Amino acid sequence: MRHSLLFISIFIVNVTQAQLYNDYIGAGHNSGITVTASNSVGSSTPEKTLDASGMDHKTFEASRFLAQTTFGANIDVIEDFRDNWEYERWIDSQFVKRLDLITPEVDDIWAEILSESDDPDNEFGPTALQFNYAWWTQNIGNEDLLRQRIAYALSQILVISYNSDLSNWAESISGYYDVLLEHSFGNYRDLLMEVTLHPSMGYYLSHLNNPKTNIAANVNPDQNYAREIMQLFTIGLVQLEQNGTPVTDANGNQIPTYNNEDVAELAKVFTGLMGGGLEEWVDWKSNVDFGDDIGMISKVLPMVMYQPQHETVSKTFLGYTIPAGQPGMTDIQQAVDFLFNHPNTAPFVSYRLIQRLVKSNPSPDYVGRVAAAFANNGQGVRGDMKAVIKAILLDIEARSAESMADPTNGKLREPMLRFTHVANAMPLFASRNRYWNNGYDFYEATRQHVMYSPSVFNFYLPDFRPVGDIATQNLVAPEFKLHNTSSSITYINRVNGWVGGVWFDQEQQQLNEWGSLFWSWHGSEQYGEDYVRLVFSELEPIAEDSENVINELDRIFTHGQLSDETRQLMRTSLNGTYWTWGNPIEWRSHRVRSALYIILNSPDYNIFK
Amino acid sequence: MGHKHHKISRRGFLGQLSCAAVGYTTFFSTLTNLKMLNAAAGFNSAVQNSGDYKALVCILTSGGLDSFNMLVPRGNTEYAQYAAARTNMALAQNQLLPITAATPDGRQYGLHPSMTRSKTLFDQGKMAFVSNVGSLVQPLTRQQFYDGNIPVPLGLFSHSDQVQHWQTGVPHARQAVGWGGKIADMLVAANDNENISMSMSLSGTNLFQTGNNSVEFALRPLTGAVGVDGRNDNWVVPQMKMAALNGMMNNTYSDIYKKTYTHTIKQSMLGFEELQPILDNPPVWTVPFVNGRPGSWNPTLNMSFEMIARTIAGREQLGMNRQIFFVDFGGWDHHDELLNNQATMLTELDNALHQFNAAMEQLGIADCVTTFNISEFSRTLASNGNGTDHAWGANTFIMGGAVNGQDIYGTYPQLNINNSNPLMLYNGVLLPSMSADEYFAEIALWFGVPPSELATLFPNIGYFYDYTSGNNPVGFLNL
Repeated sequence: MRHSLLFISIFIVNVTQAQLYNDYIGAGHNSGITVTASNSVGSSTPEKTLDASGMDHKTFEASRFLAQTTFGANIDVIEDFRDNWEYERWIDSQFVKRLDLITPEVDDIWAEILSESDDPDNEFGPTALQFNYAWWTQNIGNEDLLRQRIAYALSQILVISYNSDLSNWAESISGYYDVLLEHSFGNYRDLLMEVTLHPSMGYYLSHLNNPKTNIAANVNPDQNYAREIMQLFTIGLVQLEQNGTPVTDANGNQIPTYNNEDVAELAKVFTGLMGGGLEEWVDWKSNVDFGDDIGMISKVLPMVMYQPQHETVSKTFLGYTIPAGQPGMTDIQQAVDFLFNHPNTAPFVSYRLIQRLVKSNPSPDYVGRVAAAFANNGQGVRGDMKAVIKAILLDIEARSAESMADPTNGKLREPMLRFTHVANAMPLFASRNRYWNNGYDFYEATRQHVMYSPSVFNFYLPDFRPVGDIATQNLVAPEFKLHNTSSSITYINRVNGWVGGVWFDQEQQQLNEWGSLFWSWHGSEQYGEDYVRLVFSELEPIAEDSENVINELDRIFTHGQLSDETRQLMRTSLNGTYWTWGNPIEWRSHRVRSALYIILNSPDYNIFK
Repeated sequence: MGHKHHKISRRGFLGQLSCAAVGYTTFFSTLTNLKMLNAAAGFNSAVQNSGDYKALVCILTSGGLDSFNMLVPRGNTEYAQYAAARTNMALAQNQLLPITAATPDGRQYGLHPSMTRSKTLFDQGKMAFVSNVGSLVQPLTRQQFYDGNIPVPLGLFSHSDQVQHWQTGVPHARQAVGWGGKIADMLVAANDNENISMSMSLSGTNLFQTGNNSVEFALRPLTGAVGVDGRNDNWVVPQMKMAALNGMMNNTYSDIYKKTYTHTIKQSMLGFEELQPILDNPPVWTVPFVNGRPGSWNPTLNMSFEMIARTIAGREQLGMNRQIFFVDFGGWDHHDELLNNQATMLTELDNALHQFNAAMEQLGIADCVTTFNISEFSRTLASNGNGTDHAWGANTFIMGGAVNGQDIYGTYPQLNINNSNPLMLYNGVLLPSMSADEYFAEIALWFGVPPSELATLFPNIGYFYDYTSGNNPVGFLNL
């Protein structure tokens, strides 16, 4: 059968105003919209473009919203959302999902590994590898979608990394990740305090075992955490308006928030912290001492104050004075409270969260609206993450078609989010019925994997500008830091491995597949290979007509935004993926696989708009 | 401020070095006029002379290399001052590797005990150090710093800011363009190859090589360029996939993000075809690039240097007359465990420098390749218990046949932590006595940037160096 080509062009002549939630291409707005089509074939008629059965605007809206709020949704989740939910009600329903911590998952996985081991006494772990297994286990087919996505966003603001000696101990970061999960829907102040006292942060930014000033020995408090809690976790380098734009002086210069004296003073606050407990294997003593290193101490219990090494003089930073002679923990609480309540913190944190969830270049008004929700949730509470999350996701700039059409709207999808997206959007086959992703292969290809930042400055800075039009227009695009002539191709090659291929063995009457999405490093001869593969069989039956596959993948991956140009290229490619010999399952399967390959490498997909 | 201001010699001007067919002034005017004068064969031949090759290799020791433990005062008097300042972060005097600078300043110096190969390079005149250099907007004294009336670099002591200053040469502003990239913009006509950037990075996207128009070509340390799998497969399935992929990359996009996304991939595909056959056939190195850290997950530094060496070996086939390489060797933020970690990492650095220098000598091109070090800052002389914190003025190294080696440039500061030391700000934070701009300017001039263009690269250079003087900014390169 010859496949007819259908070209649909939609012209929106007059979008007078953006309406929250409803104003989307095809959202029942007939006025000012004309539809033309080259022909009408089968079920694809131009008329249907304007109702839900054609362009399916509600499906697209749902698909797009879920791309901002989850690690990726399959068509069932998208259609369930479309048919049964409104945005805010869905968010509220996510707020009350059960909290699933990751550390117990790590423990279960480690127990499973030991049970399969020939020599359990000599297994070293759990390490960062088991965190990766646990993280993927938790993030495929789960229901706590929003919490997981927010925790991941926070992990890119309050950064620690397995790209350090912490990789020796899974719990060093699983415990930290649990803090992020726990407070994703809590209060930023509580989160900041727990982060400050976490032993892994104490190790990573070296305020664990940080002694007070010793003039005789010429030793001064370590300034690392004092600097970064200001620069990266709360107030940033320059004074900000509530809409996130820098305050400027009479000469147009930005105004620094702090100087080196402020850092040196605040560093005195973060002295005297030591481990909150010892590892079980430390059997020669029962109490933790100041100076016990990260290997010996609990990686989960918060650090505690060892008062003799706390600097008790008064400390003055940013014009705020912490009085002399207080217990160290009181000093820390006051310092954290002060930074949390600093006016900069609201726009600073808001801007970063918007960039992770919605777009690279939010308007100052958008940042201002979110910062206002951070400053006050409506009931006089500052730092309420639920209010901040709603303000980000329900804002007209996140939702409306008018904002979507703004040429500055968009962002490069993070490599990690592309990976989780395909893993959640497509059906999977798991050889061992588990989702143990080693993570390193993807990290190697893209330089990104959860909790694997190269430094406390995350995988990219919020103000990164790639060469070209983005920089020329004075805009930013952080994720492009990871998109270079090397990583852009290694990603394409990973996708090629994901889609793999098939070969039908006529003699054995058996379909052989190659390719896999990910694999663990714990496959074995005895228990079998341990890999996860994408399943294409649900799409193969509709692949007779390439258009069906293109439309289905557009709904799931590009939220109805696949361009005519890309569609045309896909059509040509898929229609050419055809032969008359052998079993037709072969070319149908290849057609679906190629379609996924093309769409996952397309600019239409990789630029999220 | 440097103690050596060489007059640029007639010899240097005429470019008697094997790698410079013409002096830099002539060279630049030739370059700028190259396109216009394309028909004039006489001008073209000067630029395209195969002997006219220069490369810069920028090694960023990110995190803040504690360089007062790299280049250390060794004589009894100055060592005592050093030891008093550094207390438990001090290296033992008898472990320092003694070096003797050609220009004496009355003190003796030594290198970190891990740097045995560097000592040899220094002794052979192939390496030099520059002391107490840092980002500055204008010259200033300690009192002026405290008074706060003279502008200083933005975000002093912050990694993310100061590492940018060293890459942009614009410390008074937050800028998205680096000075390596700006040089590549200026000298783009020097290369015959339009598919592969003058700038090549072994560490992905970086600010140093980001120009207004130019962008780095990223190579992987072990494998080089990356090709799209299936590109040469003539089975219908990969062919159809490639057709769509190529089609998407060759389409034009008005959306700025889509345009940027596709442009990078397209450049990579073009560059790969030319580059990889060359990278896959490297010379046999007489001093092999042996992995310096067995068992490491990440490729060691010398693997990056080997890929640079392979690229340089293919310079003529690639049509490259000017190249700028970048490697980020990070992990120097030693707030903790300074002594152990620094020793390990300096060994890796030392090893890589030695192997790379040997490779350049084997290619007979050592005079044409200059390797230089940048780092956001050095670290506090004072200890924080088991490490050191962010400071300002730093010591850097520079290596190559064009280096006036076996010398220490700038002024090595006094290290006493008290008010009698005019450069001492806080607990072992030293006010730089040389602007990073001077350091950069010397490198830029050597590479072929004319003096009149220096201010385009480094807007504050006029505060530190008179580019009409005909003097070297510092003196460590044979201009």
